[in-house]
Formats: sequence, structure tokens, C-alpha cells
Amino acid sequence: MSKNLIITLIFASLFIFILASRYLRKGRIPEKYALLWYLFAFIILIVSLFPNILSFLARTLGFQLVSNMIIVLLIGILFLLVMALTIMIAGQKKKTTLLIQEVSILKNEINNLKEKEK
Amino acid sequence: MKKILLVIPAYNEEDNILNTYNFIKEYNKKSKQKYDVIVINDGSKDNTKKILEDNNIPHINLVHNLGIGGAVQTGYKYAYYNDYDIAVQFDGDGQHDVNYVENIINPILEDKADFVIGSRFIDKEKEGFKSSASRRVGIKIISSFIKFATRKKVFDTTSGFRAVNKDIIYDFYLSYPSEYPEPITTSELLRKNYRLKEVSVMMKERVGGVSSIRAWKNVYYMLNVCLAIIMIKFRRYKKCQRI
Repeated sequence: MSKNLIITLIFASLFIFILASRYLRKGRIPEKYALLWYLFAFIILIVSLFPNILSFLARTLGFQLVSNMIIVLLIGILFLLVMALTIMIAGQKKKTTLLIQEVSILKNEINNLKEKEK
Repeated sequence: MKKILLVIPAYNEEDNILNTYNFIKEYNKKSKQKYDVIVINDGSKDNTKKILEDNNIPHINLVHNLGIGGAVQTGYKYAYYNDYDIAVQFDGDGQHDVNYVENIINPILEDKADFVIGSRFIDKEKEGFKSSASRRVGIKIISSFIKFATRKKVFDTTSGFRAVNKDIIYDFYLSYPSEYPEPITTSELLRKNYRLKEVSVMMKERVGGVSSIRAWKNVYYMLNVCLAIIMIKFRRYKKCQRI
């Protein structure tokens, strides 16, 4: 792995760490997601400091180039992340549907009560 | 006397909703069995809301558009909260005829079925609107998928004219699919061992408004429905308990 790639990776790790910390400080993401991003940043830092881990992994998994493996791994991780988000959105949709329905039924009942009082 | 509710989902139905309601009102004047009505206004952008309010039609305005599944489920929730015995799904666009409601609820009143579908295809002799040719092909394909998943033959798989008993009102209160609700709930109820009866009805061609199933979406619709029904075959369901 070239020196330049190592430096790039260290910067990437720092960038992720700073980004996650900013959002966490502003309270825009909960701790459990911030922890995930920290872990991500940590792994990138480790492999850039000890590039041997990467070349060993690449050899055992059958990749010609270390950079190829990094790209494939990243795509895999992003894919899983998107799947998790899809599931989360479906859950959120269920909750909003429930809220809209119950609020609308309540509004109808309140209106009926008001009419009766008149 | 059993408490019966007509659930009428309405999205931009300003042209038809008042007529539909007046037909039901006329029917109630003549008939011994009265039907209560609840219109679910699914965030219509036209004058539907104003018409509902001005004419004192019982209605629930959804505070945000939910789509057909969420709107109809609101009606079933209303039926559950108000202790109705039978809930009938009824279109607000003038396709359905209130005189057939009697035929649809009879099997439930006689305890011969738990849910009843008003079918356009069961009686080949009968005239009336039977949907376009391409739609009929789609309905047949869905029918064969339901046969595969539940081993039961359903003819009119997408009919929105149907009645359910109290147990199923509770079932729908708990969960109801947000999209393609008719074929999906039919398959699920059959898998749960509820008794289905299809009753022949005549439908009119819609007078105004736009159907919730648009033409260019048909292939996508079919793929989704078929996938959903296949999944229903491989899912486990708690069978209903009948005493």
C-alpha cells in the first residue's frame, strides 16, 4: 500500500470521527449510531497504521490489489447500511400511519361532542 | 338488530360522494335494516371535505394523506371502537350499488361466512361493468396465485366491495396492508382459516374521479401483489378460533 493511500485513509478516518462528533454534539444523531461511525473510523485508522493487515486480508480473500478490496468492502458495508435504513423507514411509516389514524378518529369524536353540546 | 357500518374511503370524490350518500340515505328510509356510514376523507385536495361538512355526512378527515390501505383501516378502527358487528367496504365513486349490501352481509348474518366478497365474475349471466380486458387478465393471474397460496378459489380478487364480521374487524384493526389491500387481506384471511363466500354483484362503471389503480402502474402492481401473496404462503399465521 502506498504512503499516499495511508495518509488518505488517516484523513478519511479523522473526517468521519469529526463529522460524527459534530452531529452527536448537536444532538442530531443518537449515541448508538455515533458509536457505529466511531467504530468505522477506528477500523480505518487501524488498517492505515498497520497496512500489513490489509495486504494479508487481500491475499487470503483473493484480491489482486488492496485498493480493490477496500472498495468492495465499503460497497458491502454501505449496502447493509441502506438495508437497515429501509427497514427503519418501514417501521417509521407504520408509526406515522398509526398516529395519523388515531388523531383523525379523535378529532372526529371531539367534533361530534362539540355538536352535541350546541 | 346488528350494527352495520359502511366504510367509504374517498380521495378527491367531489363529483360522486354526495350521490353515493343520498342513495344510502334513501335506502335506509325504505329498509328495516339501517346502515351507518362513515366516509374516510384521505386528505382530498378538491371540495370533498366541504361537501362532507355542508351535507352533514358522517366523516373522518385524515390529517394527512395515507393511501387506500391506511384510509380503509381507519374505517375498520372506527368500527372496532364503536362496536359494530359488520363492516362493509363501499366505494364512494358510484361503482357500488347499496341494494347489493344486503346480499353481501346475509352470509355473515346467517353465520355461514366470516367475510364476503362482492364478485363481478361469479355469475357469468349477469350484465354490468366487468372491468377492462387487461384488468380481467390481471385479476385471473392474482386468482391463480391465491389458489397456490391458500388452495382456495377466489374469482374477484380486487373487488373493493366486501363485508367482514366482528372478528375480522378486530383483525384489521390490528394490522392492514398499506398497499394492494384487497388481494393481500383475502389471502391472509384464508390462511387464517376464516370462511369466505363470494356473492355475485353488479357494478357500474365509475362516473367520475380516477381509480386508485392507474394503467401505467399495472405491471408493477401485479409484481408487488404476486410477491406479497407468495410470501403469505410461506408465513406462519395464527389460525382463528371458532367455537
